[in-house]
Amino acid sequence: MLALQLTITGLQTGALYALTAVGFSLIFGSTRIFHFAHGATFIIAAYLFYFVNVSGYGLFLSVAAATAGAIIFGLLLNRFVYVPIQRDEGSFFTVFVASFGVGIVVQNVVGMIFGRGFVSVQTPLSFSVELMDGLFVSPLAWISMLCAAVFFGALWYFLRFSTMGMALRALADNPELVRVFGLNPRFISACAFTIGSILVVPAAIISGATSGLNPAMGHHVMLISLAATIVGGIGSVPGTLLAGLALGLAESLALLYVDSQWTEAVTFAILFLFIIVRPSGLLGRSAVH
Amino acid sequence: MKKIKKLFATLSVISCVGILSTGLATAADHTIGALFPLSGPNAVYGDVFMSGSDLAVEHINADKMLSGPMSIAYEDSQGLPQPAVVGMTKLVNVTGVPYVLSAFTGVSKAISTLAMRNEVVAVNGGGVGPDLAALGKYFWNVIPLVNLEVRAAMPYLVKERGIKRVVLIYIDDPFGNSILDELKSSLEGAGGKLVETMSVPTTAQQFSGIAAKVRAEKPDAVYIASYGAQQIQIVKQLRDNGVDQQLITYSGFLVPDALALPETEGLIATGQGVNYKSDDPVTKRFVTDYTAKFNRAPTAYNVNYYNATLLYGILAHALEAEGKDVTGANLLTKREEMGSFDLVGGKVSFQSNGTLLFPIQVKIVKDGKPEVLTTVDFNK
Repeated sequence: MLALQLTITGLQTGALYALTAVGFSLIFGSTRIFHFAHGATFIIAAYLFYFVNVSGYGLFLSVAAATAGAIIFGLLLNRFVYVPIQRDEGSFFTVFVASFGVGIVVQNVVGMIFGRGFVSVQTPLSFSVELMDGLFVSPLAWISMLCAAVFFGALWYFLRFSTMGMALRALADNPELVRVFGLNPRFISACAFTIGSILVVPAAIISGATSGLNPAMGHHVMLISLAATIVGGIGSVPGTLLAGLALGLAESLALLYVDSQWTEAVTFAILFLFIIVRPSGLLGRSAVH
Repeated sequence: MKKIKKLFATLSVISCVGILSTGLATAADHTIGALFPLSGPNAVYGDVFMSGSDLAVEHINADKMLSGPMSIAYEDSQGLPQPAVVGMTKLVNVTGVPYVLSAFTGVSKAISTLAMRNEVVAVNGGGVGPDLAALGKYFWNVIPLVNLEVRAAMPYLVKERGIKRVVLIYIDDPFGNSILDELKSSLEGAGGKLVETMSVPTTAQQFSGIAAKVRAEKPDAVYIASYGAQQIQIVKQLRDNGVDQQLITYSGFLVPDALALPETEGLIATGQGVNYKSDDPVTKRFVTDYTAKFNRAPTAYNVNYYNATLLYGILAHALEAEGKDVTGANLLTKREEMGSFDLVGGKVSFQSNGTLLFPIQVKIVKDGKPEVLTTVDFNK
């Protein structure tokens, strides 16, 4: 029963990891921008949802505010930080440092506005129900998995069949060719930031209810996203999805075999294993030299 | 050319006046340092600590206790040893303070060698690891350490509440390990048993799997030894994931953010006993002014950092009255000479290891407020 419990818990955690990581992977895969401030997007969405919700504006407006905040932040960051750096042919490292700096600024600004302590979204959906002897599952666990399925289904359909989806994939493959076809890479990049930022919103809202929030949690979110992106194969959205789920499951099921203090280390042990054995990741393409 | 010379001469005069006036001001100013977590997951404590120390500075300045205005140079430790050492180095070598307020076990242990080497007094009002009693003569504690809290709580919980089987969830650092050691001996001594221990990394945020393991053990109670946002996350996730056993923790949990959480209801926590209704003027003034300024009742942390700052005021005042310099070495000598001090909570004196001894209270959270169940006085 403990194994079943830990599997369900792992799937819930994995769904949230996957939602966060796929947003990062989509942005990185399409634009080659190391968007470290993706963790800051998570924080902004989570705190906006919390603030609007506790102010009594209801679920719909809270979700709308969180989504709008995440999109606006992503677009502004792209337009006023990444584009100017890239225009001056700034290196990959310059973009990374700028993004890292923005993440720290956001952490401090959120701390100043909402307080630096712990807050959580109070909802009866976070309380577990005993389904059978020793098996407790909260409604939010099912909602997490459902959200992941719906968002990834929609993303798959969008990338596969829409013109913009194909343009995003083309941008990842060959930006020069995109220009040749008369498409605007900057506009496509903005679309990548919009979709990547939207994907983080359900994970941010659900985390606010299950584990609570503090302004410093963005870095942890980013670490997991990065690990899932590398394990899944850099730029591969399905790979990142699978890796996110696998990391969540591994972190939870590790409790069956190792002491609790090592569960987080399992995530990074998997990461190192992939870097050594299969550097291209689960579904990534091997580089040809 | 003449114009340029005149310009340089004017600038030189302005610079000299500036330097002299700064020098004059510094001679009378009293600046102490503080290494508090002002960012990161432990930042929840920073505001709590500062509210106590800032109020003491206001009182010291209003009373003109010292020859010049007193202020605190705050450095962000993040509750972590490495940034704390950087901050301490700056406070000691650049700001040149003789007295530093410290918090957190890991931070305090990390800066204690710098304090000793530079003869700077470090005063802890927030860390509770038992090791803090052995960090040398320049390291003082104005807070009872956690071994006393565990020692006070376990006999009461076993005998009065029938708690025999306990699971411990502890943070994997010196503080968490010290609680593990103390809980093992105190619980067995009282007739209980530590049935399972689970350590968690300092960065962990997901505890639903741990909750499943706790449920499988079917304990009478769960002891939580963590701090900052993590300890609140543990309580929330245990309750949300079907752990309905008694939760027990230490004084570090009793901060406004944790008390505001509905899942905290019914939790038992230990903490230092402070008689807020005492008639002594120091306590009355502190309680009245703190409540008026922050619109909430003070907690033990507010008291500790008020006391730690006020202690500097008392010692520096005595040194200035004797015409002595306010240095770390002189502050230490003066503390040993004076013996006892009128602080919030009454007249107190330090033990030989530089730690203040307070009674320990076992409290239960009811309607978001801690209510005292029993008080254990180790002085008696």
